[in-house]
Amino acid sequence: MTAAVTIDRLNKYYGTYHALQDVSLTVAEGEKVVICGPSGSGKSTLIRCINRLEEHQSGTIDVLGTVLDDNTAHIDHVRREVGMVFQNFNLFPHMTILENCALAPMLVRKVSRREAEATAMQYLERVRIPEQALKYPGELSGGQQQRVAIARSLCMKPRIMLFDEPTSALDPEMISEVLDVMVGLAQDGMTMICVTHEMGFARQVADKVVFMDHGRILETGTPAQFFGNPQHERTRNFLSQILAH
Amino acid sequence: MADIPLVSPQPGIDRLARLRRSLFPTPLSGLVSLAGIALALWIGWALLQWVVVQAVFTGSAEDCRAASGACWAVVTARWRLMFFGLYPYEEHWRSALACFVLVATIVLSCLPVFWTALRIAVLWVASAALFLLLMRGGLFGLSLVGEEKWGGLTLSIFIFAGTALFGMPLAIALALLRRSTLPLVSKLAGGFIDTVRSLPLVTILFTVAVLLPILAPGLSGTKLMRVIFGMAIFFAAYQAEILRSGIQSLPVGQEEAAKALGLGYWQRMRKVILPQAFRRALPPTVSQFAISFKEVSLVIIIGIFDFLASGNAAYGSGEWAFAYVEVYVFMAFVNFIFVFSLSRYGAYLERRMRVGK
Repeated sequence: MTAAVTIDRLNKYYGTYHALQDVSLTVAEGEKVVICGPSGSGKSTLIRCINRLEEHQSGTIDVLGTVLDDNTAHIDHVRREVGMVFQNFNLFPHMTILENCALAPMLVRKVSRREAEATAMQYLERVRIPEQALKYPGELSGGQQQRVAIARSLCMKPRIMLFDEPTSALDPEMISEVLDVMVGLAQDGMTMICVTHEMGFARQVADKVVFMDHGRILETGTPAQFFGNPQHERTRNFLSQILAH
Repeated sequence: MADIPLVSPQPGIDRLARLRRSLFPTPLSGLVSLAGIALALWIGWALLQWVVVQAVFTGSAEDCRAASGACWAVVTARWRLMFFGLYPYEEHWRSALACFVLVATIVLSCLPVFWTALRIAVLWVASAALFLLLMRGGLFGLSLVGEEKWGGLTLSIFIFAGTALFGMPLAIALALLRRSTLPLVSKLAGGFIDTVRSLPLVTILFTVAVLLPILAPGLSGTKLMRVIFGMAIFFAAYQAEILRSGIQSLPVGQEEAAKALGLGYWQRMRKVILPQAFRRALPPTVSQFAISFKEVSLVIIIGIFDFLASGNAAYGSGEWAFAYVEVYVFMAFVNFIFVFSLSRYGAYLERRMRVGK
């Protein structure tokens, strides 16, 4: 399998705060990786470095053969191939659902409006909300908005999808509708890197679970290893806290 | 509780009761209410007498002096001077038409249909050309009328439109430059904004109208153009900060989502950031437009014959000198129409955008 993302000894500072410390991680094409860890452990920072929403200070990130550096052409290229779903959905509130989905393909991929809207409808059907296409984000529930956000990313036909705590801002009864869409995506073979606390999801779809704490990767393993036989004391603590309720 | 009707069977009586409760809750409050109503009626009656009943609408200054009401005859007699200034009398229709073109263009730009870069640009270029053709002439058999003869309401609206037209893009540029990640660029933009904001508009007008030709004699552009330029810079410095506050108020996630989708800087600004920033900055933007509209009257001090200056001339000629109140009331009324329409338009936009359109 070819590597989709190769991160090598990555270091990231916020001022003097050392947010990521010598983080190395390889994600193969088609692989599903779940990153978990306590808050402030650097997991969000790590995936935000992959599409350069955060700049790193040392180490290398190779995404589909492109090395991320200050060259904006490289950054643009990576962003075109990498989709991202945020905790707070971040839909554009002044555009309809359909416009949200068709915008980037039209501007970035130079697709015609007709084609972009046809693709958008196809993905909206896939996340099971085509009937909301002409509404505005403010008129949708949180779960629906997050499904639109996923569809919007997919419209760019990305090869890698990043999920930054996609269910953390949702009411409990809406979590499963978003997870169902993510599971479907995983089954279709999408390369996925997910920061999430949904351990059920991790067990079900992850090829690899990564545990981070204090800006370091402490432990990496298959779900069976990770949940069945965690190596680190801190991992065991974290799992007992998160699985207790 | 169940027997309380949800809808009062007699809404008229209900309203009367509510009125009585709010105006006469106690004997003292009732007395004050009565006094207030009496005062309002008295003022209203006196105004009605002055404005309509006793007023003189046409006729000579002598007729006015004989009456006790307002002398609207001065407006009837001198409205052309107020609207068109020193523009040649037999060509007034051109100034009127040009004024209409400008007002129509402003109204059209307010319609959402014209809110694409191309349409708005075509609209303004076409109307600017038409305005200049009508006002200046010199083509198609229209006699040439120099800028020094332009005046009145037409000129005021022209200066306002020019200020907004050049000021708004400049404001957007300044707001974006001030947010630049390059420290030098943002410092320069910030320094420019702070400098302009620390100067009184009168100073800027004097500089562009009087000092600039002395300091830089080779500089092209007529006095009117330089004045519009000065007013546009002044407008832009304030409007840039209004827009910047709109941009700052957006959640960072908006720009991040646009970046993650692969949108470039200009695409993010044009499609995601600025449309939302304008929405959020709408109330202060409407205020800024209203302020700029009224500030046009300051050009009187550098000898430009705008609406206010023309109004002064309208009563200043001996026979009508006593009727200055009526002239100012009329000018205030015309200003009110413009600024009030502006604020109503702002309210319409806010209603329209409530959903997200």
